[in-house]
Amino acid sequence: MMKDQRSQSNRFSSGNNRMVNLEKIVFGITRILTYVILFCACFIFWDIISKGSRKLFTDDGFINWSFLSESPQTLHVIEHNGEISKLSSDEYFKFKEELSDSAWDELNSRDEFTKVQKRLKANLVTATEVTSNEVQKSLLTSFIQDEQTEATEKFTYWMELLENASSHAPDFQVSSENMPYLVGRFILAFLDQTKLKYSLLETELSFFQALHYPKIDHLSSQSIQKIKLAYFNLLEEHLHKIWEAYIAEKKNLKENINDFLQSPSPTSFSTLESQIIGYMENPLLLKENSASLLEAITSDLQWIGSEHRIEVPSKDYAYSGGGIFPAIAGTILLVGGAMLIALMLGVCCAIFLSEYGKSGKFLSLVRLSILNLAGVPSIIFGLFGMGLFVIFLDWNVSILAGWFTLAFMVLPIVITASEESLRSIPKGFRESSLALGATKWTMIRTSVLPYAMPGILTSAILGVARVAGETAPIMFTAAFAMRSELPWEGLEHWTDFFFQGVMALPYHIYVISKIPQNEYTVDMQYGTALVFLILVFLLASLSFIIRSRLRRKFNW
Amino acid sequence: MIKEKKAPSYPIAIDVKDLSFSYGKTEVLSSISLQILQNQVTSFIGPSGCGKSTLLRCFNRMNELIEHAKITQGSVLINELDIYEKSVDPIELRKRIGMVFQNSNPFPKTIYQNVSYGLKIQGFKNKRKIDEIVEDSLQKAALWDEVKDRLNENAYELSGGQQQRLCIARTLAVQPEIILMDEPCSSLDPVATARVEELIFNLKQDYTIVIVTHNMQQAGRISDLTAFFYLGKLIEFDETKKIFINPKMQQTEDYISGKFG
Repeated sequence: MMKDQRSQSNRFSSGNNRMVNLEKIVFGITRILTYVILFCACFIFWDIISKGSRKLFTDDGFINWSFLSESPQTLHVIEHNGEISKLSSDEYFKFKEELSDSAWDELNSRDEFTKVQKRLKANLVTATEVTSNEVQKSLLTSFIQDEQTEATEKFTYWMELLENASSHAPDFQVSSENMPYLVGRFILAFLDQTKLKYSLLETELSFFQALHYPKIDHLSSQSIQKIKLAYFNLLEEHLHKIWEAYIAEKKNLKENINDFLQSPSPTSFSTLESQIIGYMENPLLLKENSASLLEAITSDLQWIGSEHRIEVPSKDYAYSGGGIFPAIAGTILLVGGAMLIALMLGVCCAIFLSEYGKSGKFLSLVRLSILNLAGVPSIIFGLFGMGLFVIFLDWNVSILAGWFTLAFMVLPIVITASEESLRSIPKGFRESSLALGATKWTMIRTSVLPYAMPGILTSAILGVARVAGETAPIMFTAAFAMRSELPWEGLEHWTDFFFQGVMALPYHIYVISKIPQNEYTVDMQYGTALVFLILVFLLASLSFIIRSRLRRKFNW
Repeated sequence: MIKEKKAPSYPIAIDVKDLSFSYGKTEVLSSISLQILQNQVTSFIGPSGCGKSTLLRCFNRMNELIEHAKITQGSVLINELDIYEKSVDPIELRKRIGMVFQNSNPFPKTIYQNVSYGLKIQGFKNKRKIDEIVEDSLQKAALWDEVKDRLNENAYELSGGQQQRLCIARTLAVQPEIILMDEPCSSLDPVATARVEELIFNLKQDYTIVIVTHNMQQAGRISDLTAFFYLGKLIEFDETKKIFINPKMQQTEDYISGKFG
């Protein structure tokens, strides 16, 4: 008997080899695939962390605070004294200023500079004296007269052309029917020329052109007369305007000249230089006698400029310098506001669905639409937000529009999770509350919502990651590619806060991935991505901590 | 068939007249008529699904919260007032008629907050008054001595029996006239059950108590009157002694002797 049993002790060994092999294969495949996924995940994180830390940490291993606290800037890579350095715009211009300051100090000690300065002073004084008000007034009068004479000649010629085309211009080969059109083109070209000549009159001349365009297009001898009159009036009226502008400018110039002569410095020099250039461009001053004087002044100015200004050639890379602080601030604002709105709307909706709604067709319709909402691609939410908030409600590209767009996007998550968590509250709490004489709302407020809060916050954790990460919904509604001002800076009224666009991390990553790529933009991308990951992680863990605290408080 | 025996010294607290009740199309109570007497313990016994809990919940209109549940016929009079009349506010009604549930279900709050909950939602502001009522209620529920030093501890740190007595104290705090108990001891161990039973016996002096129980011995121990339900019908209603010693109906006798149930 015993022997029998022992010989049969193997009856539990597998008789079916195929099934065993299949088992092994399935086990192998599932295991390998899991490892592949694990490897991919590790690779992604390793990639972002290793490349991103190049930007986030300095070479000595400290956190790169300027990356976290500055606005995005252009990166200037310069070679100075054989040393290559990477500077953000701010640093670059400061560096240039320092260089020119030291060059200026050196220049100051040279005798040549004193000589040039003396000559310049004499010339400037003469120039401003020569162009004294009285002289200038007579110059202006003759100038206006010259202009009018020129215009009169032109108009007379055109009128004659109109009246008798063949006699005055036999070489035109234009039939008399087409002549008005041709003369009209002449007038337009003439006005364009005047515009170029007097840039201060550009707006008025464009307006004049537009106003008289119907007449110019259908010329007749009467209408050309009217145009001529109107044009003369315009000259009379507006050349005085230029004159007034000139007087003001001259006063300003005199002050600047004094500034420069009393305390020569690179700054006062640059101001003076740019003004003199503007002064020379003023056609009223281009009289023969002052032209040579101005030329002398210019050459002296040029000499001083070339002696103390040091060019630092640099290679510029847009968006690759500075930091991402406005984007971090913008993302935090967007996430915070959107979650607040989503939670308020979502919890109200969930309360209605789980507590008040009577199950029926209406409720299933609501549920169905919420489910469908969850399936809508985020770009569609972006378009919806642009259509409704940005355009129809006229909020423009603003935080507020972004908040609502993002809130609508996460609403399905929030509603579903909140409803689930409301339903999971034991019936006993509701019943005992009601049995103690609570109204339904009191019951919800005191003995359902507080205990459902951990579950609702779970939905918030899911929502935060989604809201922070989406680019498409904010692209049209809230995000600016570049805005160095922080959201709380430069507000005229507190409501302006809601109606301004902000930078956001995901959109910033998108923007710096669209510009021409080089090693510096890549560093910037990975640095931003790493900061972004850390930020999302921090936001999520914040709600995680709140949730676990609530759980501990309301434990049953 | 239905025995309506009134003990003459006690006035009627709840008068059920020909009551039928259904969930959707399923009738769960049909033509129930009985009278519950003041300052007496009335127990409802019967097998599962016989409608005893449903009838209990008709007394404070808790059934209304279930969809499709409605009274099809008859009325419930409390203090000679039909509680299903339109002018009756169920919230006010439930303040007068307290209820203790099968599972001890204190709120996940402190002991003090649990007892004062009913007062808080009714808008009581006077802290000293609330303190007084809380102490009084805990005294009445025979829990005061056990918890007076730890009123600010979470109610879930109490034992099961203490939790159930806390729920009774919570009900007492809103000062009801009638207390409905839906199998209050079904999840308690024998020692805790004994304490609750003792408590019920003492509460009888101030309150009218209706108790649903699965435990026939319990009904025998604590109640003055007993009603036996079967399949939605009231089979027999009489003094407890008579029901247990000398039942009139065959079904009652079968149930009590354990032939089914």
